[in-house]
Amino acid sequence: MALKQARRREVEDGLNITSMMDMMTIILVFLLKSYSTQDISVAPSEDLELPVSSVKKAPEVAVNVVVSKKNIVVDGVPVLNLEHVPDEDNPGQKKLQVPEDERNGQLIESLLDELSKKAETAKDLGQQTGSDDHSFKGRLLIQCDKKLPFEVLRQVMYTAGQAQFSEFKFVVYKQE
Amino acid sequence: MARKRRIKKDEELNLVPIMNLVTILIPFLIMAAQFVQLAVIDSTLPAIGAPQPSDEKPDKPPLNLSLAITDRGVTVMGADAVLYPEGAPEVAEGEDRPPTIPCQSGGICTSVEDYNWVKLTAKLNLVKDEYPDEEDANVILVPDNHIKYEVLVSTMDAARNDPGKPGADGKARMLFPNVVIAGGAM
Repeated sequence: MALKQARRREVEDGLNITSMMDMMTIILVFLLKSYSTQDISVAPSEDLELPVSSVKKAPEVAVNVVVSKKNIVVDGVPVLNLEHVPDEDNPGQKKLQVPEDERNGQLIESLLDELSKKAETAKDLGQQTGSDDHSFKGRLLIQCDKKLPFEVLRQVMYTAGQAQFSEFKFVVYKQE
Repeated sequence: MARKRRIKKDEELNLVPIMNLVTILIPFLIMAAQFVQLAVIDSTLPAIGAPQPSDEKPDKPPLNLSLAITDRGVTVMGADAVLYPEGAPEVAEGEDRPPTIPCQSGGICTSVEDYNWVKLTAKLNLVKDEYPDEEDANVILVPDNHIKYEVLVSTMDAARNDPGKPGADGKARMLFPNVVIAGGAM
């Protein structure tokens, strides 16, 4: 009698999956909600923290320039490193700048080379496909760290302007 | 009795295949999930070349609204006729004119929150009342060299629309959404 009872309990002790299914269903719904098919993506890092803005416009694909605390990256290819130098206006503090031997006045030369190449490629593509969708419109996505001084940003924008990019799109985090 | 129990046992749903499916779906969805939403702010280079000559003589001078951003606050320029109908406030000789919107702490702004964005939006609302045309939607930003990028973005936000004042369509009132970033002081 005692043996029989023990065996019956063993049979009823099968893994109860129902509660796990409940959990999985909730996770599934949550993940489906946050599923996104956005065209661009950012890799968050310590050196690149985008600012938050109330703007609603969705991003689109274009040549991508990332200006982090460390370097400037064009479409995933690092172009040049930035340097921290003592700030003359605020003694004791450091400021971020493009190294002086890398630029010619406002122009960042290595960035100009890279962006000109991108513009050429985009124009070729537009000519070969012959469609308006692929023609070169001079659009440039700019991702900047939120602590970046305007001086560096202006040099980047000036250089981009020289490389025939005239429509800037600043990538920001959308406010909740 | 024994038969009844067996029928009951058969009714239990076999969830294992669903579990398999779900376990495969979850990693896939985690990969595709994006927890931060991105957006873009449009801006153009200042147009080069002479402005289009217009046959019609405008009733009033063009607005040419500019915002100078310094570490002491934001100065609204090109709209003195709106903001100071009796003329700009007098400034003692040898002193710079104080910014239109000083920092909340008075002196030098310590952070983005220290700038008085609410007051800036209110001031620009006044300007928009005088220039309600859709064409007058441009604003030129003239930041100082060491102004941080986040301050720039916040200024664009404050100039874009006024969430506290819904417009005709129920959305926030559009103020000056077309941003042009000027070269700034060299």
